[in-house]
Amino acid sequence: MTDPVYVQALDLACGAFLLTGVLVLWRRDLAAIIWLFGLQGVALGALIAVRGLHEADVELTVLGLGVGLLRAVLLPCLMRRALAAGDEGREARPHVSVAASLLVTAVLTMLAYAVSQPLVRLAPTPATQAVPIALTVLLVGFFVLVTRRRALSQVVGFLLMDNAITAAAFLTTTGVPLVVELGVSLDVLLAVLALQVLTTRMRAAFGGTDLDELRELHD
Amino acid sequence: MILYACALGLCLTAALVALLPARAVTVAAEVITALAGVVAAVAGARATLGHGWSAWLPDLLPLGGLRLALDPLGGLFTAITGAVTVCAAIHGIGSGAARATRAVIPLFVAALLLVPAADSVSTFLFGWELMAMTSLLLVAAEHRDRPSVGKAALWYAVMTHLGLVTIMCGLCYLAAGATGDGFDQLRAAELSPAARDVIFLATLAGFAAKAGIVPLHVWLPRAYPAAPGHVSPLMSGAMVNMGVYGVVRVGLDLLRGGPVWWWWIVLALGALSALYGVLHAAMATDLKRLLGYSSTENMGLVLIGVGAAGFFAADGAGPLAALALTAALLHVVNHAAFKTLLFQAAGSVQRATGTRDLDALGGLRTRMPYTTALFAVGALCASALPPGNGFVSEWLLLQSLIHALPASGVAGAVTMPLAVGAIALTAGLAVATFVKAFGVGFLARPRSPAAERAAESPRTAICGTALAAAACLLLALDPALVLPALTAAVTRVIPVGRPVTGEVTLRLSAITGSISPVLIALALAGAVAAVLSLVRAVATRRVRRPARLWDCGAGPVSARMEYTATSFAEPLQRVFVDALQPESAIDVTVVKESAYLVQRVRFRARVPDRVERLLYEPVLAAAVRLGSQARRLADGSVHRYLSYGFYALTGVLIVLAVIS
Repeated sequence: MTDPVYVQALDLACGAFLLTGVLVLWRRDLAAIIWLFGLQGVALGALIAVRGLHEADVELTVLGLGVGLLRAVLLPCLMRRALAAGDEGREARPHVSVAASLLVTAVLTMLAYAVSQPLVRLAPTPATQAVPIALTVLLVGFFVLVTRRRALSQVVGFLLMDNAITAAAFLTTTGVPLVVELGVSLDVLLAVLALQVLTTRMRAAFGGTDLDELRELHD
Repeated sequence: MILYACALGLCLTAALVALLPARAVTVAAEVITALAGVVAAVAGARATLGHGWSAWLPDLLPLGGLRLALDPLGGLFTAITGAVTVCAAIHGIGSGAARATRAVIPLFVAALLLVPAADSVSTFLFGWELMAMTSLLLVAAEHRDRPSVGKAALWYAVMTHLGLVTIMCGLCYLAAGATGDGFDQLRAAELSPAARDVIFLATLAGFAAKAGIVPLHVWLPRAYPAAPGHVSPLMSGAMVNMGVYGVVRVGLDLLRGGPVWWWWIVLALGALSALYGVLHAAMATDLKRLLGYSSTENMGLVLIGVGAAGFFAADGAGPLAALALTAALLHVVNHAAFKTLLFQAAGSVQRATGTRDLDALGGLRTRMPYTTALFAVGALCASALPPGNGFVSEWLLLQSLIHALPASGVAGAVTMPLAVGAIALTAGLAVATFVKAFGVGFLARPRSPAAERAAESPRTAICGTALAAAACLLLALDPALVLPALTAAVTRVIPVGRPVTGEVTLRLSAITGSISPVLIALALAGAVAAVLSLVRAVATRRVRRPARLWDCGAGPVSARMEYTATSFAEPLQRVFVDALQPESAIDVTVVKESAYLVQRVRFRARVPDRVERLLYEPVLAAAVRLGSQARRLADGSVHRYLSYGFYALTGVLIVLAVIS
């Protein structure tokens, strides 16, 4: 892969990665959110694969495909099943309105760019210049966790953060060892399964998955 | 070294044996612990006589490894711990303590042996923390039986861990300025005076908390009554000594002395503790609480000695410093002996009657004759009167302070007489305290059914107590016995000649003075015999006839007419009313029909711990207020908890973005 093509492909993947992350905040339809998350998984897989192709690293390319499969196919599938089990198609009214959320995202993006400047300056390559995007998605994921009410949106927020961490890892290094990536991916899978069980339990106990119902549990 | 390792090994074995389920081994754990005590005492004694050693076991602890060394100073404290362990373990045989308690006691002893043998900061802190944890478990052992125990354990846990934190900060700071954390490297460290001041004050605070020095003593009168009967002797006889060991080791050895004002602080803390401790001991009605305050008093006396030693050493008066330190260490030995004895006797009393309240005791002389006699020996020793052992060390201490006058300028001329006055007042009040404890607790008539039903303790308990009493008597009559060990320990930190010489008569080498405890005891015995025979000779001239005791015509004398501990202390309470500020409340209930007919009068009196009231209660109240306000932050909403994390993260990022 030649350098200009590599840069363009990398920027495209990163752009898609960021855009899908922000769009999660925009949509309130849970099925659409899951779909967007799947798209982000594709973007993440593509990002890793592009880096692998550029460095002619077969292991990295395969890893990108694997990560893409896990995050674009397996996890959305699991979430769709959880969604189908309940009858809540839409996110309840979030704590912060959609318009305000998008504004906050803009601020978070600027913050991420401002904070990651020293990191970028360490080794200014096309890959490290995309690190602020990973940080933005991390903050957006956290913001989803804080403002969205449904358990499924919480899962997506958590997975956005994990996507962002994975992206940052692959953008700053020349590849995470396979063992580490496998461990992290398995952890994520386990967390999603646990959250799915929790969602089912919540639905059985409260008839819904609005996290604010849990307030009754505090001492 | 082999002996020391054997002692540690025996402790671990005892802990394991105590956990075995078989009934046959119930005695074995105590016997093995006693054996460990004997071996440790011998190991410590050998170390004081010049057979020191050092060892490095790099694999036993992460980072620094376990670095051990036993020099004469550490050996002295090891020997004391060993001796106390022997008495306590024998006393504990058949005490019926829970299995977990019996397993923790040997571990506690092992920690007590580890601290004076530690030769690096990490080893020292490891031993110190082990000692804190095991003693905390022992204090909390009976929390299911008595509700006050849990609270006492909480106080103890907080105080001992705050102490650990300050010691850790001080020693780590010291190690950071040296080339490593071994004690040899710390001695060679070149630090700025300000750093040395910080290190000394931080470690002093921690060690003072362990020694029960005012104003950090608040755990002590709580923890001793809470601990099981045969644990309090170990805590009082062996554990509080570690505070003194720490001050001497860090202040005089590792930091090689310091400016005069360090030692003024030590001396002032000592004098304050001695007076405050003995005043509250004189007021206390709980026997173990009384003994706990008495520990504060005696540790205060020891710190007066240590402070004077540092003061003289900083002033260049080496021989006087050595004498003061010898007196202080001798008092540590004496205190360990008589406090072990007293706590064991108190434990026996508690086991026999189920109460520690002096106002409910009395009349134990006929029911528990051996325990009474042994307690009498302990009370005599603790009240610092000849021929008790406390007298010798306090006399030495007074000598060193009195003879400081010409040597040590204006500061000494002001400080030393004050210290002498404090010691004199302390000694006087100690006599009143122990007359009260013995007279009210053991003599006269029983004041409660519990005291009437008391029965003598099992033979092993008496044996353990008698062993401690024998040690007291030996120290009282022949203090020269421990003199070589003390001299070796003192010359380890203040290298001058022998401060005290002699066999039967102790002669002070720096100043003119000598004392012969044996001759004093013989003279006293002779005088008592002479007075008795004179009285008998005069009295037998008249004809004896039995008659009823004169009772003012108020009917037969009953236990309600006796002095109680409270009434005995009342005159003293009046004298020191400004210092003690006792509280009393009279609650009169009148009959409904007439205000002149009283139905019930209730009188309550209490002597509160003023240090606790002024220093601790405001802090505790503020902490509780803060805690209840902080509960509002946690209202149960998951989103709120998540948003705390989000705000914190973005806040940190914003700060980073601004400053970079």
